[in-house]
Amino acid sequence: MADRRRINGPPGGTRPPVFASLQESSTGVANRAQRQRQPAGLRKIFLKTGLIPTASGSSYLEFEPSASLAAARSNPKSLIPPSSALKLACTVHGPKPLPRSAAFSPNLVLTTHVKYAPFAARKRKGHIRDASERDLGVHLETALRGAIIAERWPKSGLDITLTIIEAEDDRWWGDAPDSHDASWGMMNVLAGCITAASAAIADAHIDCLDLVSGGVAALVSDDSNQSASSAPRLMLDIDPAEHRSILSACVVAYMPARDEITELWLKGDSSRAALDKDDGRTGHEALIDGAVDAARGANTVLAEAVRESIARSFTQV
Amino acid sequence: MASLPPIAIPGQRLGPLSTYSAGPGTHVQQSFIYASIAGPVVADLAQPKSQTRPTLRVSRGIPPKDQAGSMPAVPAIASSMMSKPRYNTLPAVDSIVLARVTRVQKRQATISILVVLDESASQSQDQSRTASDNDNVASILTSAANPENHSSTDELRFQALIRKEDVRAVEKDRVVMDEMFRVGDIVRGSVISLGDQSFYYITTARNDLGVVMARSDAGNMMFPVSWKEMRDPVTGTSEQRKVARPF
Repeated sequence: MADRRRINGPPGGTRPPVFASLQESSTGVANRAQRQRQPAGLRKIFLKTGLIPTASGSSYLEFEPSASLAAARSNPKSLIPPSSALKLACTVHGPKPLPRSAAFSPNLVLTTHVKYAPFAARKRKGHIRDASERDLGVHLETALRGAIIAERWPKSGLDITLTIIEAEDDRWWGDAPDSHDASWGMMNVLAGCITAASAAIADAHIDCLDLVSGGVAALVSDDSNQSASSAPRLMLDIDPAEHRSILSACVVAYMPARDEITELWLKGDSSRAALDKDDGRTGHEALIDGAVDAARGANTVLAEAVRESIARSFTQV
Repeated sequence: MASLPPIAIPGQRLGPLSTYSAGPGTHVQQSFIYASIAGPVVADLAQPKSQTRPTLRVSRGIPPKDQAGSMPAVPAIASSMMSKPRYNTLPAVDSIVLARVTRVQKRQATISILVVLDESASQSQDQSRTASDNDNVASILTSAANPENHSSTDELRFQALIRKEDVRAVEKDRVVMDEMFRVGDIVRGSVISLGDQSFYYITTARNDLGVVMARSDAGNMMFPVSWKEMRDPVTGTSEQRKVARPF
């Protein structure tokens, strides 16, 4: 409810106008970020557990900034960063008793909250969770529910809270929204959320079948001139700011020890993928396989972070 | 037979079910034992006489002393900023708990569970483990001394009931709850049931169960003088409680 006694600013925040002529200028102010990695190359992940002492488990995750963002940080030419890198914190509270009004549950009751910090994205977020944040929470809950052994914790609840400190862009900031525009950044955020939440749950010593990690793959077409071979290519771990157009993307939550997928989110048109001739897969199969490969990569970081957290808990006693 | 890893992470395969049986912190899939929490792997050897296989478990606490030496060295900076590990064990049937009395009624007493004592740790007489239990008791004392923070912390703890007939084993029908517990007492009890949606059920009907710490009306810590009496060392008055046998 708006406060009617004061003169409020616009709820969404304002941004200075950026003119098209500025982007075309030769000063290099607004160079589009370019992907420097191989199609199957993943960004580095920083993941650490146990940073929030009052929670029973916590983790902090950060993606490596893209090459253009790193260059812009060391040698800024514009006040507008060319891309953004995911940063998020996860806390796990519990197992704790259910509220008095709740019905008896023989299993662990999982609640997930995903919240963007107001400053996380280029467009400011409100303090109340909006539809996309609730959507992310539901996706995350599905991903984790398949991994947690819920019957080991009767009559108790587990609260998982994720705070997105810096979100990924949905597209390059200078691009106008176009027809196949979707919230691609959200998919990267979900993959990060899954990995971070899994680390925090392991830090809280909640029984899990496996460490579940998230991965993203996408079909992108990067050609600036439409005449060239415009068949979209499969790329892992995309930074949406680095690509001209993303046709479809896929997030999975994957448990490598059991080779199981607990959550799958596929968006867009995957029919026009340019695969090898002898590749019998369809576009969406290739997407899912790519996302699983990305999740396997994230899992190596996750396993190492969990080992670190265990080693740390031994040295402190 | 492959050797066991010193530390397991969730999803790590530990051994076949033909060699081991699965203990706490593990789960079984396709006749293999997998870790389900991160921690040191402990193989509890079976009794020599019996034919059972050794039990594999993943410990939540600190590793045994012989394994501690083989732990990877971790920079000591981490140790200063972190507190000691917290155990999030749930009350289960037959587990011994320490709880604070929050309400005494005619037919039952409501208590909130503060600590679930670990069976295995209390038997192994691990020095560091007993030290952490003592710390827990100290924290219980401080929280018991502050009546104003009762309401805020009780919401976060598991609630339990001691019914009138579960207070003691003899003369169950003559129990007067007011002469057994007072609000603020610390009680050692044993869980008899997970109960309904909101309460666990706890009994004190054993010699070693009952009130372990209590303050008198004057606010002084009392010492036990018999199984149903505690005395205030300052004023000399005695009050009635269902006292746990001091060890």
